Parts: sequence; structure tokens; C-alpha cells
Amino acid sequence: MGVPISQILLTTGFLLVLIGFWGILRHRNILRIIIGFSLIDTGMHIVLVATGYITGGTAPIIDEALGIKEAATRTVDPIPAALVVTAIVIGFSVTAIMLSFAIRLHATRKTLSIDALTESKW
Amino acid sequence: MRRLFILFVVAGFGVIFAGLVAGYSERQTLSALATFYLTEVPADLGAANVVTGILISFRGFDTLGEVAVLFMVAASVGVILASEPGDKPHLMSAMGGKGQGPSELVRNGAEVVLPLIFLFGIYVIMNGHLSAGGGFQGGAVVASGVMLMMLAYPTGPLHHGFLSITETLAGVFYVCIGILGMVFAGGFLDSHILPLGDFGTLVSAGAIPLISILLGIKVGAELSVIIDRFRN
Amino acid sequence: MVDSLFQPLNIFLLGLGGGFLIPLLYKIAKPLPAVGFIIALLGMTVISGVCLWSVHHGGSTIEVLTAGSVPPFSINLRFGPWEGFFSVCVNVVAMLGAWHLWGRLHASYPALLLYLILTMGINGMVMTRDLFNQFVFLEIVSIGTYGLLGFERTPAALAASFKYIMATVLASSFFLLGAGLLYHVTGTLNIDDMIANRALIIGPIGVTALLLVLSCLVLELKPFPANGWGLDVYETANSGIAALVSVGVSAGVFFALFKLLPLFEDHLGMLALSGGITFLFSNLVGLRQTSVQRMLGYSSIAQMGLLTLALALLQQLGAEQALPLVVGGLFINHLIAKAGLFWLAGIVERREVDGWSDVAGNPVLLSILAVFVVAIAGLPPFPGFWAKWELVMQAAAGERYIWIAVILVGSLLEAAYMFRWFKQATRPLPGETKISPTPGRLVPVLVCAALLFAGGYAAASLAGAASLLLVAPLVVGVGLYMLDWLPGRAKCVLMLAAVLVVGWWIVRDIDGLRRLFAVLLLAGGLVIAFASLYRSDARGGFYPMMAILLLSIASLLRAATSLEFFFHWELITLSSYFLIAQRREAHPYVLQFLLFSLVSAFCLLAGFGIAATANGTTALAAFATAGPDAAPAFMLLAIGFLIKAGAVGVHVWLPGAYAEADDDLSAMLSAVISKVAVFGLFMVTYLAIRSQVGLEMAHVMGWIGLLTTIAGAVMALQQSDIKRMLGYSSMSQIGYIITAIALMSHLGWVTAFYLVANHLMVKGILFLAAAGVILATGTRLLDQTGGLARKMPLTFAAVVIALISMSGLPPLAGFGGKWLLLSAMTDRGWYGLAIVGVLATFIGFLYMFRLAYSIFLGPQKTAYEEVREAPWPLLVPQFVLILAIFVLSFFPKLLMDPVSAAIDPYFASTLVWQGMSLETIYGYWNPVPVMAFSVAAAVVLLALFLLIYRAGWGRSIPVSTSHFYGFYRLVFAPLVTPVANFVWDGVCSLTIGLAGLVRRIYTGNGQTYALQVLCYVIVLYLLGTLRLTAG
Repeated sequence: MGVPISQILLTTGFLLVLIGFWGILRHRNILRIIIGFSLIDTGMHIVLVATGYITGGTAPIIDEALGIKEAATRTVDPIPAALVVTAIVIGFSVTAIMLSFAIRLHATRKTLSIDALTESKW
Repeated sequence: MRRLFILFVVAGFGVIFAGLVAGYSERQTLSALATFYLTEVPADLGAANVVTGILISFRGFDTLGEVAVLFMVAASVGVILASEPGDKPHLMSAMGGKGQGPSELVRNGAEVVLPLIFLFGIYVIMNGHLSAGGGFQGGAVVASGVMLMMLAYPTGPLHHGFLSITETLAGVFYVCIGILGMVFAGGFLDSHILPLGDFGTLVSAGAIPLISILLGIKVGAELSVIIDRFRN
Repeated sequence: MVDSLFQPLNIFLLGLGGGFLIPLLYKIAKPLPAVGFIIALLGMTVISGVCLWSVHHGGSTIEVLTAGSVPPFSINLRFGPWEGFFSVCVNVVAMLGAWHLWGRLHASYPALLLYLILTMGINGMVMTRDLFNQFVFLEIVSIGTYGLLGFERTPAALAASFKYIMATVLASSFFLLGAGLLYHVTGTLNIDDMIANRALIIGPIGVTALLLVLSCLVLELKPFPANGWGLDVYETANSGIAALVSVGVSAGVFFALFKLLPLFEDHLGMLALSGGITFLFSNLVGLRQTSVQRMLGYSSIAQMGLLTLALALLQQLGAEQALPLVVGGLFINHLIAKAGLFWLAGIVERREVDGWSDVAGNPVLLSILAVFVVAIAGLPPFPGFWAKWELVMQAAAGERYIWIAVILVGSLLEAAYMFRWFKQATRPLPGETKISPTPGRLVPVLVCAALLFAGGYAAASLAGAASLLLVAPLVVGVGLYMLDWLPGRAKCVLMLAAVLVVGWWIVRDIDGLRRLFAVLLLAGGLVIAFASLYRSDARGGFYPMMAILLLSIASLLRAATSLEFFFHWELITLSSYFLIAQRREAHPYVLQFLLFSLVSAFCLLAGFGIAATANGTTALAAFATAGPDAAPAFMLLAIGFLIKAGAVGVHVWLPGAYAEADDDLSAMLSAVISKVAVFGLFMVTYLAIRSQVGLEMAHVMGWIGLLTTIAGAVMALQQSDIKRMLGYSSMSQIGYIITAIALMSHLGWVTAFYLVANHLMVKGILFLAAAGVILATGTRLLDQTGGLARKMPLTFAAVVIALISMSGLPPLAGFGGKWLLLSAMTDRGWYGLAIVGVLATFIGFLYMFRLAYSIFLGPQKTAYEEVREAPWPLLVPQFVLILAIFVLSFFPKLLMDPVSAAIDPYFASTLVWQGMSLETIYGYWNPVPVMAFSVAAAVVLLALFLLIYRAGWGRSIPVSTSHFYGFYRLVFAPLVTPVANFVWDGVCSLTIGLAGLVRRIYTGNGQTYALQVLCYVIVLYLLGTLRLTAG
């Protein structure tokens, strides 16, 4: 039998998230930090999709291979998939915003190091 | 010191996540909600792709919100990247945009691939209610085509105003369809305003394909706008 | 049709549709987006208002379904009373904020659409009942915020925005993960379903998921210490955007927490902890701030912490019925006042606190600032006051004393930095640049100020306290403020008339001791206030405040519940603060005055809370029958009143405030206002009667009283400034009164009241006489005056009579008072105290003689050849008071009988009262031997002092009084080392040092902030899974 598919996916997703954490905490370069955030997002999405997996299920699309009658018994949970579609778009949006801030920051101070962003403190 | 601390935090999350993975047992049955959707979406909404059905109908409010997010991002990116009189040259050099034209490969490749990409995008959008895909996915495909077009023809025919009008109109129509749902059917964003048609055909599932198309147009246009803004 | 127009869903249609349309409108014509924006925002506000109205009156919650299906299948929204309240608040503030930001908004259409959709997003966060939809709206709000932050182009603002994005993206990822996992364990995304099935949320996945969602919400509220990213944004963003983040976005997140709270029942302790720590430490660090917006940021964060704490605490205690007042009150208070403060900061455009002295020239801005600062500090009449009161009452009922301490200490710190800022704003500097914004700019803040007053009234109604009697002082004050353009004397006459009429109306039907106090203080107050006629200048704001002060005293005396008492107590504090602050020289002392007053008030608040729990009611009448449980309440209340009375050790605020206030105001403070604390002491000592502990504490109080007397007298002797000397003298005299009250006997109390009356008259005369002398000579230094007796005979006569009466020389009233006191002390067997009392009296003689001698006798200074008698408005009150002294002296029964009758009922059944009637005591009062004894005692002591003087100085006889005093001032100097000042200064610098230390965690580095955020999640996870803070 081996390890269930969803377990593998979960592990992969969480590993990605951890790598993302490491990335945003260790790397000084803003662009790399943004990549870190993307990794976190992706990892979370994988985890969410994985939680929708039902042992032996197929995609929740009715076609020749899947009749209406069987739909409720043979498919994976469609809800996490629906949520993840939304989440992906939002993740994309955030990345776009962060990138545009990065560009603006670089334009104003000629560096992408996050250590330079400490004007306001205390 | 700091490094150690970071290691500690990441390890901490590792432990939390490991706890989740260890405590997880793969589901064997669907939740009642999922079962409801799986039976109701094909039967009541007439959409073969249950995910699209959920997205556009039951969770239509989410989808509308998500469209709003994209819309806001397009506007924000425009604002943030809008160059001011003073710093234009810096911005250009920062982007490395020193008049280097696209390579031969890109340009020729684009000519071949672009129509295919757009066609595929439109197909994905149109068949959102029937097969894997939908407005978002198709819109993203279209936008990737637009990106290729921008790379291939930096001074190309892409009209910014056109994109933003398209985007706006798609959004407004989307809200209008939602309102029609309130007037002619069970509530806001109800897709029963149009006849269900024959299950599994292109024109079926009430307003779902229509919304899907609007979504596709809107997402495609918005993503293109965002890409366009980054390019400028 | 109308129904379908005004339904909550239309808020979203307007927000989204309007947002989507704006670019199109822009393409059609440039001004159209602004029109569309205004229509949409106005529409949203009106719809939420109408819906709230119908929910409030129709009573049924509006459920909004989408997609023609029902929950849990489709997303639904709810618009109940709570949702409606939050939504209307947010929309109104968003509208005012748009007005404030208009210059920026209408210039670019993306700003309009971001602002509009952001506002809609907050409404969505409030109304949605679907967990994932909650996430979507959270993201809408976040992205709208990021976009609006992007309008600020300074490097610091961009950097701060990036840090903000990093932290909030992390937080919302946790929400996403948590929501997904919660669906996994519960099989639903509908919040109501989830709450119904919360038994399913178990096991590692369920618990972790719940904690992740909770972490996100807590993090979005910017908890200490993981909140540097929020502060940076508050500091650098445009004031309008910062206001929106501070009140709008936080409101949405807070409501999400509120709505999901049933899920977090096991984690309420953790929430309370998080909120409490945030409230305390944010306010602590706020002390070190010099940047206005960052300081407001600390205050914002602290307020959200307080809200979280209040929510969790009330939920834990099962006090849901208090939620509307506490959470609603704190929320609306923060919302309006903080938004107003941010906007004001934007209007004034001074980033640093120091720059705010430019505001001093603009009374309108200053008044608005005062309203907001007072509201944020949780002082009456604003909603925060009522909310904090109820919160403390509930916490006391649940015996959560630590939380009471946290709330009060945090509030004190917040008041400290807020009022320091206000003080800076009231201090004009030379070469100031005047700030005069156009009236249009001021509209949002003016509306906020008006809303705060309305909110205060609503909160008072909710607390069950609103009545015309309660607000009468404020109404009169506001009325007089409208007439502030009149000439000074006209305003004074109006004020006197108003106080007379309304004051009489307020106290008309009270009885007993309260009536006596009311008559005495109101009459005394009016007589002394009459003296203000000697000044012809306009004194902007002085007379309305004076009216509020005097009428609040009347109302305080009438208060039937501790809430009413406390309300008026705070009004008295505030109005005296504003009155003292009128004089520029008083500025170094006002903050000290206010902080000590607030400490006093907070002790009272805690004490009232415990007393209400012990008595089971807030009625003051219950004090008379309180059981032994009330002893701790007695201690707190007594401490509170002692601080305000200026007891030794906590007297440091007193001399500065008394000496540096306006001359006629000093008379009022010393003669009348100080008696309010005495009344309080009277009232609370009932609490101590019934327990042995209480009686012991009363004995301690007796010693405190006499130590105060001695310390006051010795310090008075050291002064060379007339008003400072009189200030210390006040302190000394109040000490006697404290001792008399502490006797806890019928005789003691009669004496105390007698002393109160005597001191009121005497100090009134002396301060007014001092005002006359200062007016004539222009100096306050004793050494620089002299020989004025011939120039100012009437003043001299008044001073002599007052001094005789104060020093306790026969035959005037003071003598009777002292004699009664000594009798009462020996009666109780407090011989030690009696001896100390005699010594104190003698030191009193010394400084009083010096006062009269150096001003009126002694060699005449040539500089004062032209000096004239004081003006009649100063003399008339003095002679009225002299008349009163004579009546009191020669017909003591006129006062004693009603006092005795008023006090008797309370002691009729106590352990202390031995049944000795007043007649017996009068029997002892045989003037001849008594007088002989007193004179003998005085002669002996004087001889003793002269002897010591000779031995110590090596002189045969004192050649002049100044030598004599020089010697004794030197002798007493070690006694008056300002130990108390050292201690309080130490406390101050320690606190500020701590603040400096704590704020080092805000390194400004985005990665450190992200690290803090992640650590916070881990800590919450540990606390939550290990259940360390459960219960």
C-alpha cells in the first residue's frame, strides 16, 4: 500500500512552506524574499488540495468516464479545489503588489537589500 | 545568534507541520457538503465541471471578491509603478530596458504559437462548465499569450485603454448578471436566469458559461494590464 | 421596492459596481469618477444606516442569501444589530475620511476605486458568515490597504509598506491554511455550522487549524511584540490612510474575531493575555514617542489590545449582557477619537510632538484636540469612560484583579503621553507659525467631536445613568462656551447666575451630610468665584470650565450611585486641569496634577468595583451598611481620596498646581476643590466601620493625616513664595481634617466638618488677599514685600482675622476646631497623635506669623509707595467669608447641630459610637481654662524654640524675625528633603527607561518583524495546545 498520496502531498506542501520561511528570514534580497512568499503560497495550496483527496477519487467533472450517478461516490472533494482557485489568484495578486513595491523601492534607493529599509523604528 | 533563532523558528514550524502530517488520515468519504455539490451542481445547475459550478454559483460571492482583488491589484500596480517626472530615468535603467529588441526566435515563435495560445485560452474559458478549466484558468492562458506578444512586439498593437475598458465592462456586466439573478431568479448571482439547456453541451448550465466568459475576459484583461504595467 | 433598495447586499453592489465603473467613468469624463465615488460611498452609508435602523426597530436580523441557495451550501451574509453597528460606524468614518483625503483621492481614479472597494471589504468582513469568504474579504481589505499605501512616495513610507505587506501576508496565509483544515475536520465553511459542530474540532489537525486562524486574527490586530510593521506604517503613511488602517481595517479584523469567538472558547485566556500585554506595553513604549503619528499608532494598537482583552474577559466571565456597553463603547470611542486624531495630525502637519506648539494660537484646533485626547484617555463624558467603568465593574465582580490593574496602569500610561502631547500643543513658543486651516478641512474632525459627545450620551443611556441631572454641568458649560465671545466680566456674571440657579436645582432635594457639604461648597464656591470679577480680560474658556467645575461638585454631592459619583469626580478633575492649564506658568505642573489625579481616580475606580461586588450594588447608600468584605475597597478608595487631598508622600502635585494657577483659581482649588476629596473620605469611611481591619486602617489614616499636617507646616515654613506657602498650608490643614475623619467617632466627624468649614473660609480669604497683594506689588516673594499694612488696611485686616482663625487662636472658629480635635483624640486614646497635633499647631503659628509679618509689617519697601488697596471684587468675598467666620465662631451650634444630626444616623448602630452626646462635649468647652492652657502651651513652646535658637546660633536675643526664621528654616531643612519628589521622579525615569528598553525590539528590519510574527504564532500554538492559559 505504501504512503497515501495525500500524505506525500502534505509533506511536500509543508516542506515548501518551510523553505519559504527560511527564504524570507535568511535572504536579504527583496526579490528572493518575494520568491519565499510565493513558495509559502504554493506550499499552502498544495496542502489544501491534498486535504480534499479521497482515497481512489477522480476529478469532479462529469463526463463519459464519470456518470452523474457515481459522482458522489467516486470523486475527490471539489471544495478545496474551488477554494484553491481563489487562493491562487489572491496569491498572484499579492506577489504582483510586492514586486511592484520592490521595483519602486529599488528605484528610490538603488538597492534591493531589506536591511536598508529601516528608516522608521522604535 | 540570529541564524540560530531563525533555525529555531523554522524548526518550530517543522514540528507543527509534522504534527499535522502525522495526525492526518486520508479521507475515505466525502463531506455532506461535497456530496450535495456533486449531486446538485450537475442536476440543478447543469454544469458538468463541479468545481466551476461551485465557484461561479454557490461561491460566486467569493469569485466576485476575487475579481475585485485582481481589479484592485491592477489599479494598485499602476499607481505604484506610475513614474513621477523626477525618477523616470532611474526606473528605466533599473529595469534594464535599454532598447534591446526581441530575438529572432521569440518573434518567429510568437507568430506560430500566439494564435494557438489564444485559441486554447478561449477554449478553456468557453468549456469551463464542461471540462477542467474556467474563466480564471483561461484568462491566465490568454494573459500569458499577451505577455508573449509584448515580448515579441514591444511597441506592439496592445492598447492600454482598450484593455482597461474591457476589464471594466466585464466587471460591470458580471455585477449586472448578479443583479439579474436577484430579479429573475433566487438571489444575487443565481445562475438560473438562463435556461439550463442540454447537459454537457456548450450552451447549457444557465448563466454559468456567460459568467465564465466574462470572468475569462476580465481576468485576461486584468492580468494583461498588470503585465503591461510591469513592462512600462 | 424601497425594501429591495435598502438591503445590505446593495452595499456590496455599490462598492463593487461603483469600483468597476470608475475607470469607465474616467474614460467618459474626468470629474465623473469622483461623482460616482461619492454616490456609491454615500449610498453604502445610507443603506447601512437604514438597515441598522430597521433592525433596531423591527428587531429581526437581516439574512442575505446568495446564489439562490441556502447556507451552508452558498455564502450568506448577516446584518444584525452588531453587524449593523460596526458597519455604520465604519462607513461613517470612511465617509469622513474620504472628505479628509479628498485632495489626494479625487486627483487619481485608482485611489477612488481602491478606497471604495476597501470600505466595501470592511463591510464584508463584518457581515459574511462564511469562513473562506472571510479570507477573501480580508484579502480585499489588505490589498486595498497596500494599494493606498503605495501612494506615499517617501522611501520610509515605501519601506514601511513593504514590511507591512510581509507581515500581513504571513498572517493571512495562516488564515488560509487554518480555514482549509477547519473545512477538513468539520466538513463545512459556514461559520454558524462550524460553531454548531465545534465538537468536531479536535485532534492535532482541528486544534492546530483553529490556532492558525486565531493567530492570523490576533496578528492582524498587531499584538505586542509582533507589531513593529504596523507601527512603521502608522508613522509614515498619510494621516488619512493611517486612520483608515487604525480604525477601519482593525474594526473589520476585530469583528471577525468577535464573530468567530465561540470557536475560541478554550483560548479565551490566551486572548486576554495577548490583549492585556499589548495594551500595557504599547502604552509603555508610547511614552518615549516624539513622532505624533507613531505615538497614535501605539495608542491604536493599545486600544485594540484593550478591546481584545475586554472581549475575552467578558466572555470568560459570562457577562455577555455587558458586551454592548463595553465592547461597543470602547470600539466607537477608539474609532472616532483615533480617526479624528490622525486627521488632526494631517491637518496640523507637524510630525513631531514638539512642533505642536504652533497649534496653541488656534482655539478651535485646540478644543478639538482636547476632546479627542480626553476621549482616548477614557475620561467622561465620552463612551470610553462608560465602557471602562463597566469593564472594571465586571472584572471586579469576577475577581480578576490583575486585569483591573493592567487596565488601569495601561490607561494611565496612555493618558500620560496623550496629555503630554496636549500640553505641548497648549504652549505657545515665540516665533510660532500660526496654523489656520480652512473651515472645510475641519469638517471631519468637528463631526467626530460631535459624534463623540453623542456617543457619550448613548453610552450613558446604555449604562442606565443618562439623565438631565447628570449632564447638567456639561450642558451649562457648553452653553457658556457658546457665549465665550462676550467680555470677561459679563461672562463671569453669567457664570455666577448659571451656577446659582442650576446648582440650586441640582442640590435642592438632597439631605443629611451631603446637603451640608453642598450648601457649604456651593456657597463658598460662588463667593470665591465672584472674585474673578477683578479681572477684566476675556479669559477664553475659563468661565465655562468654572461653571462645569462648580456644578460638577454639586452633582457629585448629589450622586446616588458610585458611577454618578465617579463621573462627576472625573469631570472635576478634568475641569480643574483645564482651568489650571490656562496660565502659562502652570504648564510644568499641569501634567503632574493630572497624572496624580488620574492615579487617584483609578484607585477610586478599582475601589468602587470591589465595593460594588461586596455590596451587590453601586448605590452609595449601601456603603453605610457594608460588611467586612468591603475592607479592601475602603483601602483603595481611601488611597484615592488621600492622593487627591494631598496627603504626605503623594502631595507632590499640590504646591505647583496651587501656586501656579491663576490667583483667583488658587483660592478656589484650595478652599473648595480640596474639600471634594474630604467629602469622599467621609463617604468611604463608612466602609471601614464594620470591620476590625477597617478600624486599624483608619488609625493608619489618622497618622497619615497628622504627618501631612506636620510636613505641610514645615514645608510652608521653608517657602519664600506667598502662594506656595499657602499651598503647603492647605496641605497642612487638610491633614487635620483627615485625622479628624479617621477618628471614626461622632465627635471626630463633627470636628472634621467644622474644620472643613473653617478652612474653606480661611483659605479663601488668604488666597484672595494674596491675589490682591500680587496685583498691587507684582511679586509673590515674601522678602520683597513689607509694610503694606498701611497701604492695604482692609486686606491686612482680613488676613489677620483669617490667620487667627486658621492658627487656632481663641476666640475664632479655628480654636473651637482644634479644641474639638484634641478632645476627640484624647477621647479615643490617641495620645501620641494629640501631642504631634500640638507640635504641628505650633509650627503652624510660626509660618503664619511670618506670612503676616513679612507682607504687612516690617520695613516698608520704597518700591511700593504707590501701592493701593485691592479692588473691591477681591475684597467683597473676603469680607463675606469673614462674616461667615464670625458666625461660625460665635454661634457654633448653628453648624454643629445640623452636622451632628446629619452624622448621627450613621453611627447610631456602629461599634464606635459610645452614645456620648454633643451636649456633654460642649460641657467640656469651658473657655477660660482652655484659653489659659493654650496660651501657656504656646508660651512654653515659643520659649523652647528661642532657647534652642540661642544655643544653636550663639546670640542673646533675636534681633530680627528674619534671623529667627533663617535659623529655623535651616534647622528644618533636612526634614523637607524632597524625598517624595525623588521617589516619584525615580518612578518616572524608571518607567521611561523601561519604555526605552522595550522599544528596542522594534529594529525597523522587516525580517526581524517577520521573525517576530512567526514566533508569535509558535507561542500562541504552544499556549493553545498546552492549555497553559485555559479557563
